[in-house]
Amino acid sequence: MNAVEARLDRLRGSAAPRAHNARTISALASNPGCARRAVMDAAGVDKQRVAAHVGHPAPFGQSQFAITRGNAFEAQVKAGGCAQLLRLLRERLRLPIPEVSYANLDDVAGDTSNKVRHARTRALLARAAASGQDAGTLFDHPLLRLRAGGRAVYLEPDLIAFQLRGRFHVVEIKSFAVIDGQADGGKVAAAVIQSAVYVLALRDLLAELGTGPEAVSDEVVLVCPKDFSNEPTAALLDVRKQLTVLRRQLARLDRIEDLLAQIPQAVTFDLEPDAAGVPRRDRRALELAIGAVPARYTPECLETCEMCRFCREEAAGSTAALGRATRDDLGGIDDIGTVLELARGSVPPADHQAEAAAAIRAAARMRGEILGATG
Amino acid sequence: MSVLTALARAQAWQAGRAQPVATVRHVHVAPRPFVFVPLALAGEACAPLAAMAGDDPADPRLLVVAQPRNRTQRFAFAAELGRELLRYIGGFPAGGAGEEGAGAAADRGTAGQGAGEGGEGERAVPPDAPQVWLPNRAGIGFTRLLGRSTRFRRAEGEHAVDPVVPVLGRWLTFLAERSEHPGSCLMLAATEALALHWATGQSPAEDLNLASLIGWIDPPAWTDGREAARAAEDPLAWPPAGPATDPGFDNEVLARLIAACDRAEAGGGEAARAKAALGEALAGQLEPAWRLTWRAIGLLRALPEGGHVAGRWEADRRAFGWHAAHLRDGGPPQPRRDSAVAAARRLDSMERAAASLAVQRALDDPLVMAEHRLAGEALAGRVTAAEPDRVITGPSGRRVLRPLVTVRTHDPVSVEPGTVLAPPGRPNQHARVESVAPLGARGAGMAGASGASGASGASGAGAGAAGETEVVLELSGGMGQRLTPAPGSVPGVGDWVCYATLRDEYQPPAGFPEPEQTPWTHGGPPRPYEPTDEDAREAWS
Amino acid sequence: MAQLAEELERRMEELRAEIRRAVIAGDRARASELRRRLRATDREWEEALARLAAPQAPGGPGPGAGPGPGADAGEPAGRRGGALLTVRERVHQALTLLGAPAAPRLIVAVYEAFYAGELPAARLTSLRRDEERSFRSAPHARPYYLCAALSADLLAPARGLLAVSTWPMERRVIGPLSPRVDYLTAAIGVAERLLATGQPPAAARRLLWRFAVNIPGAASGPAGLDPGQVAAAARAELAVHADADAAHRAAAARRALDQLDSAGQLFGGGGLRLLRGGAAR
Repeated sequence: MNAVEARLDRLRGSAAPRAHNARTISALASNPGCARRAVMDAAGVDKQRVAAHVGHPAPFGQSQFAITRGNAFEAQVKAGGCAQLLRLLRERLRLPIPEVSYANLDDVAGDTSNKVRHARTRALLARAAASGQDAGTLFDHPLLRLRAGGRAVYLEPDLIAFQLRGRFHVVEIKSFAVIDGQADGGKVAAAVIQSAVYVLALRDLLAELGTGPEAVSDEVVLVCPKDFSNEPTAALLDVRKQLTVLRRQLARLDRIEDLLAQIPQAVTFDLEPDAAGVPRRDRRALELAIGAVPARYTPECLETCEMCRFCREEAAGSTAALGRATRDDLGGIDDIGTVLELARGSVPPADHQAEAAAAIRAAARMRGEILGATG
Repeated sequence: MSVLTALARAQAWQAGRAQPVATVRHVHVAPRPFVFVPLALAGEACAPLAAMAGDDPADPRLLVVAQPRNRTQRFAFAAELGRELLRYIGGFPAGGAGEEGAGAAADRGTAGQGAGEGGEGERAVPPDAPQVWLPNRAGIGFTRLLGRSTRFRRAEGEHAVDPVVPVLGRWLTFLAERSEHPGSCLMLAATEALALHWATGQSPAEDLNLASLIGWIDPPAWTDGREAARAAEDPLAWPPAGPATDPGFDNEVLARLIAACDRAEAGGGEAARAKAALGEALAGQLEPAWRLTWRAIGLLRALPEGGHVAGRWEADRRAFGWHAAHLRDGGPPQPRRDSAVAAARRLDSMERAAASLAVQRALDDPLVMAEHRLAGEALAGRVTAAEPDRVITGPSGRRVLRPLVTVRTHDPVSVEPGTVLAPPGRPNQHARVESVAPLGARGAGMAGASGASGASGASGAGAGAAGETEVVLELSGGMGQRLTPAPGSVPGVGDWVCYATLRDEYQPPAGFPEPEQTPWTHGGPPRPYEPTDEDAREAWS
Repeated sequence: MAQLAEELERRMEELRAEIRRAVIAGDRARASELRRRLRATDREWEEALARLAAPQAPGGPGPGAGPGPGADAGEPAGRRGGALLTVRERVHQALTLLGAPAAPRLIVAVYEAFYAGELPAARLTSLRRDEERSFRSAPHARPYYLCAALSADLLAPARGLLAVSTWPMERRVIGPLSPRVDYLTAAIGVAERLLATGQPPAAARRLLWRFAVNIPGAASGPAGLDPGQVAAAARAELAVHADADAAHRAAAARRALDQLDSAGQLFGGGGLRLLRGGAAR
């Protein structure tokens, strides 16, 4: 692994590696076929800064109102020894009354370093897993660790509940509302896959301690505000499918050397910052370096990946840039120019394009016939 | 999506300009629509922050909530919006009011569709109805939530609100629900209405941005669609059209201004200045979307209206009349959730409306029909031979007029002999497929298409003539009472014709039990929805 | 002068736009430099406004009164209600009512519900540090100190909890069951205070309701909220946890009294040292 790590360090250059978190790990699952993203993430590259330096920053950002609201809701649910959460777990999920033990793992006697927090988390969860009864129920902000792309990533779920139906459950607290039993599908999906990352990490930790994966439920508890109030409500969500997807993605990240083997040795995403931290890398050189790692752009990237605007520019003129459905409707032909030539009948289709070409020509004929012009 | 639309996107990309995917307008555009552009505070379920609303493009009403987490201010916003919207809706007489049974009819109203359905209660259809536009579908989602959070409120009691608030909630709920009904135009999202008529050179996901969509459709003179669409993605130049605000605006501008309003109120004085500054900043975020929404309306209005649009609008007017009557008769607000029977009815009616809309659009619009031609469900081509006066002896022994026409088409024909087709625009005529004969390159000369070759269009595009098909059709109906066809009812040689398997037929609703007979498997008969004290008091925080 | 103010306003707009672009570009250094310039411009603008206002309305808002972006409106709010009591006295009152270590948020809620005064939450953040400083400079000079609650395992200050120094050590250490036990204890304290008050304020009933919903059998609905029932339900659940919690706390309290000096017993100490020993094993 050392050669690979050295290679990844070289790709990243002088910057400190960006730490993964549950969100970045779950984002990996959204475009598994993209080598550019896999390599840059494995190397811990600050994609936002790289994208900005080549003139295509992604317009991502979080409103402070959303952050404040999220924090306030979590604090409220956990106040008074997790009083509201306990009620939900008791009423909705039959947590026994004596199970109220609470451990705050935000810090260890004031020490907030990852290493110390993780050691403490590990010790407490190990004790709970070994002794079952009477060894803790609510673990607030435990610090887990997961290996991703050969690197240890620290992850912090909102809470882990033990002895809920005899197993560990990941509890995720989100501040989007569930209104009349319905919540925003996209937000739920994001919460589910993030929780799946935590389940994976928790299973890893317990596996190191010799405890099987069945000790961690593949159902996670999602806590959200109900209707328009601040009252919390809880739901159990099955994350088995997401676990499978994630596991495959992580395995792929672990085989990062296969991807690295296809990239010229000289490639680096180093921004060459000066003493003041201002990037001095030649822009064109950086563009070439990025271009040396193949991407698989789809418009969905615009939601999840910091490189999206660069990749979109690069993909201009491809049918993929018009969306997956458009590309499929055009028979998977990559290039818009080719599509239009086939439409005009000015080039003969390749054998594998024959069927698609016939449909495209028919469509072009009809459009021309109706609109009185040719494409 | 289809090859046609996909090709239109490819063409748009190359042309640097959106390409039409419709030749007529498939939505009703009211002469005097109402535009509503809301903004919500990030992180909250439904916290109105500001809105521009009104029916005069030159004179929007700006509504601002200085402290969006403050319940009183939220309800003040709702009341102000309610007065604005009700003033507008009040301009449309709901017609035929007050007869008995209006409440019951209105219950079916959400499920009820279309002209003439059920035939019961021939109440006068209101002559016109309100039409509310939002920039995008997310705006309609916000409208629905705003409706949900206001319709159960009460004007009296412990948590009393302005009486206009619950009425607003019920109208917003009605409009937002109706907007899910295929073909309905009481509440429209500008992005969706535009995307129904134009294909851009970008992805559908990027089309959700109204500024960039319009950039493709109608770029400024000095640039093309690609550039205009890219420029429209800069949140500083083109703030998002809501309801979500740009996080950068929240963090760098909004937070400071809201804090200033809070301080001003606590400390007294300065309040007006702080509020004005907040209003100005929010107006700056809203105004582009306000103008864009009106531009979208203008772009659509310029298209000729499709033949079935008026019929669908009549269904909308009817639904509007039902809801107005329901409100007037003191009916209860829409429940939190539909009962089992109501949900099934609603789904069934939406499915039927979707099917009917698809057919109507194809019948109204050759570009939409082309999708069906590509799929082999319709064919279009030139008449190469016609026998308009053919008379045969029918099964009952009577002599009947059954003209034959021969159509030569490039379309991929998948109909088989015996299939009955119909020509768009002649709902009473049927065309039975007699024979289908693919023509090779040799066959092209056989039918002696002297009239066809001189005409424009088709023959030029299909230069090779390979892949042509000759279809013989037997016509019946829609030709008058005599044994010779009425003039113009049978196409002549050289005419361009289209025949389709599609038919806009009235489909009766599926059979559902009356609500009081709901089986226990579906929860048994629903108790009529009685808004509770708890509903009225519900926190909105 | 008005022109100057307008010019400055324009400049501020520009700076804000530049900040947003820098933030989008992930350029933190530039964003903070721009923010610094924005603050400076904002100050100039305030001064320009003050000068504008000065000739017409002497004694109008001077530069100091302007709501500058950095200025915190912390001080004035606390003076209105409960003017006779200091912040520490008010906190002491609330904690005494609750009878258990509590978080600032709950302390504020209790005070404002029962004592019809204000207790600005911002003032509580530095309270524990101030108390510690006072104790260390003159130990035991005051009848009581507002101190930390100590985590039972490491005897380090438990995050975000305040306690009263005169309470027995057992009450001031926090074992794994203690958060729940203290929550129930607080519920009982609030319920009993309500029982003892003839005309309880609405805010106090709301506070009790917030406790009641989280305790099994404590309430059926906000209308039928009965403080006696809440106290009984809380006691019933308390009985489940009490023995185990008490044993835990007693053991920890003994250790605290053995191992910590008097300041450490109040404000925590030695946690890190203990931890390093523990983590190594």
